[in-house]
Amino acid sequence: MGWEEMQVRGYTEFVRTAQSYHGRPIFALFCGDKDAEGKSWCPDCVTAEPVVRKELHNLPDESVFIYCLVGDRAYWKDPNNEFRKNLKLTGVPTLLKYGTPQKLVEEECFKAELVRMLFTED
Amino acid sequence: SVQAQKEEDNPPNTMEANGLTPVPDSYDYDLIVIGGGSGGLAAAKEAAKYEKKVMVLDFVSPTPHGSSWGLGGTCVNVGCIPKKLMHQAALLGQALQDSRKFGWQFTEEVKHNWMTMTEAVQNYIGSLNWGYRVSLRDTKVTYENAYGEFVGPHTVKATNKKGIEKLYTAARFIIATGERPRYLGIPGDKEYCISSDDLFSLPYCPGKTLVVGASYVALECAGFLAGLGLDVTVMVRSILLRGFDQDMANKIGEYMKEHGVNFIREFVPIKVEQVEEGTPGILKVTAKSSTGNQMIEGEYNTVLLAIGRDPCTRKIGLDKVGVNINEKTGKIPVNDEEQTNVPHIYAVGDILQGKLELTPVAIQAGRLLVRRLYAGETTKCDYVNVPTTVFTPLEYGACGYSEETAVEKFGEENIEVYHSNFWPLEWTVPSRDNNKCYAKIICNIQDNERVIGFHVLGPNAGEVTQGFAAAIKCGLTKEQLDSTIGIHPVCAEV
Repeated sequence: MGWEEMQVRGYTEFVRTAQSYHGRPIFALFCGDKDAEGKSWCPDCVTAEPVVRKELHNLPDESVFIYCLVGDRAYWKDPNNEFRKNLKLTGVPTLLKYGTPQKLVEEECFKAELVRMLFTED
Repeated sequence: SVQAQKEEDNPPNTMEANGLTPVPDSYDYDLIVIGGGSGGLAAAKEAAKYEKKVMVLDFVSPTPHGSSWGLGGTCVNVGCIPKKLMHQAALLGQALQDSRKFGWQFTEEVKHNWMTMTEAVQNYIGSLNWGYRVSLRDTKVTYENAYGEFVGPHTVKATNKKGIEKLYTAARFIIATGERPRYLGIPGDKEYCISSDDLFSLPYCPGKTLVVGASYVALECAGFLAGLGLDVTVMVRSILLRGFDQDMANKIGEYMKEHGVNFIREFVPIKVEQVEEGTPGILKVTAKSSTGNQMIEGEYNTVLLAIGRDPCTRKIGLDKVGVNINEKTGKIPVNDEEQTNVPHIYAVGDILQGKLELTPVAIQAGRLLVRRLYAGETTKCDYVNVPTTVFTPLEYGACGYSEETAVEKFGEENIEVYHSNFWPLEWTVPSRDNNKCYAKIICNIQDNERVIGFHVLGPNAGEVTQGFAAAIKCGLTKEQLDSTIGIHPVCAEV
């Protein structure tokens, strides 16, 4: 079985989804919300998303890719939002391997080489 | 044997594979660094800045207990970093006790959870391992998690954990393989004892611990384990902290003794047996006096060996390329440009003969070496007056000569030692020891009373020492020191 994608919005939904896939490798991309035209308020997320999507075919079998919209800009800027507090996210976009210290933050997500390394190496 | 490799993973090395000797300029890499620790990574990243084609080979052979770790070397994984964090954990325990005297009220008993601390430390280390990998990939340094060894003058064989072998060639090499803890060579040592390689990721609390050794590794580990509330005994063959100022070493030992660490002096273990299995189990240690025939026995949950470290230079094919090593110690002699007797092979870090085994030294040596090789610079690494700190419960910072070495080199009549006890202000209210913290400087009378040795025993010794190291590098004299007004109230003003 290859990999599958889940799209979620907000912290609670993210945690619930991640927990439901416990035991399988979980990768998550956190981006700012998108407007009615599908454009995110976060310009770096706009740049990163296609780079990440292009590398998804490298995901190991059985893994889950969670695409998570964190909220609007005001929510994200709040230093006490749940993503910052509980998941220790420091910026969007963040691409991480859930449950490990392995992550790519902001401009690191623009680099296909690094994304591929995160997806394919231990 | 050479196995087939995926095209995009590896640069072509078909010449080697076909048994042909490569001619210069067609090496796979400009530089191959064997060892991804402090020295190796610093050198590799520096070389990448000059657009050189660099490869790093890093591999951790698991300990007898099966412990292993990621990229970054000893300091990051099983040395300075976890050590300092656990030392901090112990200091915080002390701070919690002190806090009651400063008015903090809490009724619960304060206990320590080993697993909580260890998981947090390992998590941080994991982020460092990952950070190095990102950094190498980003600077286009090729990294392979494989054991590197020389098989020819310009060729190394890299064997990964699955046993797959690949060959790579390079114009130049840097050996930065570091060291691993030594075992005693007695019955039961590898089966039952652990080393610092295992301690910082131990998945259970070590319990009642015997630390064998009197190195800074032994004393630092014994110190923080005791600070976390464990029953700790240190078994010492002869003196404490060989190579360090003995006056300071004895003060450190006294402080530890007064603060709950047991010392068994002048004994060495001769066998370790398992009484009970478990995590931890119970071990019985039999020891013999190093000065007579007396034998003693003791039972401990954990036996931690910290009797020394040996360079990883015996099994990397140095004989195949003619690199000389000191047969007795395994260390590699190099000239003042970190070059071995083989001109295109260099070495940095703990494996060097006659040089300090410190991360910042390895980093500096690695960087300067690469700048000399590829950026036309000429600066050599300055190994003199390197500051250092031992993170025992009472920290010890030093820079320059010990008192003994100064006397030996300059003659007792030509040096002047100025010293003082001091009582940190923070220790007054909680009534902590008022006569344990100590500072001394050693001056060369014949050279304007130049400060040639700086020693301080007290809290934050590392922070205090760093600035003075810079002053010593600038030629600090006693008069200049005296005319520098102190900051008050801090320990460093002494």
